[in-house]
Formats: sequence, structure tokens, C-alpha cells
Amino acid sequence: MSTGYPRRQSTSAPNAKFDLPHMGSGRPVHRLGVIATVATFGGLLFGYDTGVVNGALEPLSEDFGLSALSEGLVVASLMVGAAFGAVFGGRVADAWGRRKTILLLAGVFILGTLGCVLAPGAEFLIGARFVLGLAVGGASATVPVYLGEIAPSEKRGSFVTRNELMIVGGQLAAFIINAVIFNFFGHVDSIWRWMLLVALVPAVALLVGMVFQPESPRWLISQGRNEEALTVLKQVRSPERAEAEIEEVTHLAAEDAKEATGGLSDLGTRWVLRLVIIGAGLGFFQQLTGINSVMYYGTQLLTSAGLDSGVAIIGNIANGVFSLAGISLGMYLLNKLPRRVMFLTGYALIAFFHTLIALAAVIVPPGPAQAWTVLVFLVLFVFSMQGTVGPLTWLMLSEIFPMKIRSFAMGICVFVLWIMNAIVAQFFPPLIEAMGMTATFGMFAGIAVLAFIFLALMLPETKDKDLAQFEREFKAEYGRR
Amino acid sequence: MSVAVAVTDSPEGRHALESAVAEAQNLNTGLLLINLTLHDFTEEEIPSGLAVTVINRSGRGDRDPVTAVIDELNAHAEVDRLVLGVRARSRVGKMILGSVAQRLILRSPVPVLTVHMDASVSGRG
Repeated sequence: MSTGYPRRQSTSAPNAKFDLPHMGSGRPVHRLGVIATVATFGGLLFGYDTGVVNGALEPLSEDFGLSALSEGLVVASLMVGAAFGAVFGGRVADAWGRRKTILLLAGVFILGTLGCVLAPGAEFLIGARFVLGLAVGGASATVPVYLGEIAPSEKRGSFVTRNELMIVGGQLAAFIINAVIFNFFGHVDSIWRWMLLVALVPAVALLVGMVFQPESPRWLISQGRNEEALTVLKQVRSPERAEAEIEEVTHLAAEDAKEATGGLSDLGTRWVLRLVIIGAGLGFFQQLTGINSVMYYGTQLLTSAGLDSGVAIIGNIANGVFSLAGISLGMYLLNKLPRRVMFLTGYALIAFFHTLIALAAVIVPPGPAQAWTVLVFLVLFVFSMQGTVGPLTWLMLSEIFPMKIRSFAMGICVFVLWIMNAIVAQFFPPLIEAMGMTATFGMFAGIAVLAFIFLALMLPETKDKDLAQFEREFKAEYGRR
Repeated sequence: MSVAVAVTDSPEGRHALESAVAEAQNLNTGLLLINLTLHDFTEEEIPSGLAVTVINRSGRGDRDPVTAVIDELNAHAEVDRLVLGVRARSRVGKMILGSVAQRLILRSPVPVLTVHMDASVSGRG
């Protein structure tokens, strides 16, 4: 996935200490399904709003007469907003509750979308995209937490996976809708406004839907509102399970509170600092794979390689399809392969396909042949990236930090990740314009090699280790003695 | 009358704990062990042979270890000295991060006993 969210692995995992009766069947299960459907509209919006520029950008750029640099700014302003939304969304969700925060985010999604659609000029559009970004980042931090907290322990993983698929699915949906709109209504003035307007549908669905969904029981307990928590649990579990689960949820809420313990001064501890550097490096290099240059500028890449706009925007759908296929494979591989093997293989494949893209742009003469060759290597890159580094980065970030500093450390890493996302989005169009495809993808290949070296030297293995064991070993190796 | 010790995740922290145990045993008092590391102390890590009260850091209110210690000292009026491990820090280190030990020394409501590692060990940073 292009970007994601804290997964809270350790606290969300089924806890052996609590032997719970079956979650129930019939009405509570149906209710849970509705909740998941509504909340994952947040993930869908995240995907659609980040993906929609891929296709909308060209008509938009013509309308406003944008330079490569200002094209970058239109795209990147959303990611800068998301960086702040991701960091502060979690704080708001802790203070106000998950439900109210998601309602607020849905409102911001609607306002931001309308602002973009009605933007009279590029400056206004950049501002509106920043606002929309706040909602995207907020949703990336809040929706998976809400889903993880309301799902029964045995279903947590699959609920959160569903949201990840919705993010990539949202991007694919944006690619398809753009291709349809552009090919049927391409002659209409400012057609890009209609492409952006489509996002209003899931945003309104999220707003209206969330009005009828309950607050997270875990958050209610963290606020001491145990009666209300039990009422919610009784809606989404069998009655006996609801009673039994209160104890587990209370335990988890107490664990959550601990996650906010550590802060800046703990970075003075050498092994903790090393882990935070590794985590920030994971976010940094994940974005510098250039995955989002394909997700945001795929259509433009194919056009500049020699396809007509109408064909390029259809060809770009392949990027979305392979992204979704890749992430599905990646989710499966997460539980099979050692983390280090998967990371290093991933970055090696990424460097390899980037090199092929760079070579294709030199060896194959410009025209449709070059464009189709580039597309083949692009989708292979997207598939290998989403099958390895994409989901693995998020899993790793949720695994490596000591519990008591997780909130602070994840905050740093997620912020770095979004800012790098913004930097790639900002500078990709001017780089392509100034250096061409060969040099740009050659650079991405070089960075992937650096990522390979960084991870080979620094990355610890976490698979099949519990956090306490991992911490002990890591501290023994890298702590001051 | 009681001795408090702030234990950081470092050799100085472990040394401070040993010194504080000796101090408390000398004075024949209890020990208030304020654990500033990021893990909760297990049974084996808690010194035996004297009355120890362990306080683990927990929650956003304890994010700043100095605040965490000062709050505990204010809440435990019986404590009349604080044992603290200190070390020489590099110029770069001083520039980047403030010193927990320095702030504690300046803000502690009770006298502070600072201990450092042997001369042969200290100075290596």
C-alpha cells in the first residue's frame, strides 16, 4: 500500500490470558459487518483522494496552466496535510473518541472535496488539497484503530486487512472512474472537477453511516464509561461474550495508556534511538521506492512515453490492478517469510525493475512500443513493491518499538513517511521534465540499493519473537554496557 | 526516613541502584525505586534484603522522566534523599539532548547523592 497506519500489533493480538466464549452469531455479527463496511469508507476515501490526481492532473494542469513544479505542489499539498493529520488525528481520537473523530473527518473530507471541486485557481486548490490531506492522514490513523477496537480479538486481523484492501481498492477505483469519465466526457470543460467530485459519495456515506455506529468500547472504558461500553459490546457480541469481554477490554485499555509513556528524553537511550532511526529509515525508504510516483503520475508517465491521453489513462488501470494483487500477495507472505528476507528481496526486485524501466526508456525508441514496455516494468515494480516492502514496512513499525514508547516512536516514523511521500510527489514531475525518465528511475534504482544496504546492516529480525524477547536481545547487543 | 533512587536504562542507572541499596541498608531504611526505563521491573530485577517500593513509569503524564521523579518525591514525604547516576557527556550529546540528571539535581526537593562509574570506565561517553 502506498501509505498506511499504525497497526498496534501487540495490543490487538488475541490474548491467551483471556479465554472467551464464542463471539456469537446472527444479529451481532451482522451488526459488526455493517460497522466494518461503513468505517472502511474511510480507507476507500484515503485511496480515492490520493489516487484521483492520476488522470485528473492532465486536464487540471491544462486548465490552470500549471508548470511541472506547481503540478507537484498540487499533489504534494495533500501529503503534507496528511502528515499532520496522521500525527494529530490520533490525539483527537484519544480525547474525543473514535466515533466523533471519524464523523469530524468525514466532514473535513466533504469540505475538502468541495473546496477542490470548486477551486477558482491553483492556489485555492493547493489549500483545499491540504485540508483534504488532514482528513486522509486522520483517517489513516483513526479508522484502523476503531476497527481493531470494535472487532472481536479473533477477527481483528481480518478487519484491519479489509481496510488496507479498501485503501488500494480506492486508488484502483479512482483510476477506473477517471478512465471512464475521461474517455466518454473528455471533451467537457474542466472534466477534472467531476473526477474529484465523485469522492463526495463515499464521504457522505461515511458521515451518514457513522452517525448510526457505536463508539469503540475500548475507548469508552479508557474514559471510565464502563456501562456504555457494555451496552456497545452487547450490540456486537453474544450476551455472554459481551460480559466476558469487559475484563479483556479493560486490560487492553490500560496497555494503550502505557504506550504514550516514552518521549523525547528516551531517545537518549542508545538502543531506543537506534530502533527509532531504523523505523524512520523504513518510512523514508518505503516512499523513496517511488511507488507513489506511479500511483500519482502513472498516466502522465505513459503519455510522456508515447501513448495518447485516452489510452494512457486506461493503461494506468493496470498499475492499480497490480497494486491490489501485490498487496493481497504481500498480506499472505507476511506470515510465511522472515522479515529480513522479505525486505531484502523486495528492495532487490525494486532496484532491478527500476533499472529495467530506466533502460527501456533509452533502448526502446519513443512511441507506443516504449510506453507499453515501460508499463510492463512499472506494473512488475508495483507488484513486487506492494507484495513485500509496502505492507511489511507497516508491520515492522508496529513490531520493533518497546511498548512504552510506541506512540511517540510511531508518530516520528509515520511523520517521516508522509513527508517523504510529499517530497516524492512534489519533485517527481520537475525531475522527469528536467532529467527524463532514465535518470529519474536510475536514481530510484540507486536509492533502492542504498535501502538494501541500510536494511542489511541495521534491520533486526522480529518474526516469531515476542516483544519482550526481542527487546532483551536488541538491548544486549546495542545498549550501553 | 527513606532513600529514593531514579534508575535509568544505562550502566549509571544500574550503578545508582546498587549504591542506593547500600545506602538504604546502611541507614537501615526502605528504598523507593523509581524505574525510568521503558520496561516494568521483574521480580529478579528488584533488589532483595530490604523493603523496596517500585514505581514504574506509565502513561503520558510520565513522558518526562524528571516530572515523573519529582511527582513521586512530592508524593512520598518520607524520602529524604535521592540517589542518581551521572556520567560525562560528549559535546554533541549535550547539544542535542538535555540532561535528565542535571534537571533532577536542580529541581529535586530533597538532597541528591550522585554516583558515577569508576574513573577507568567513565569518560568513555
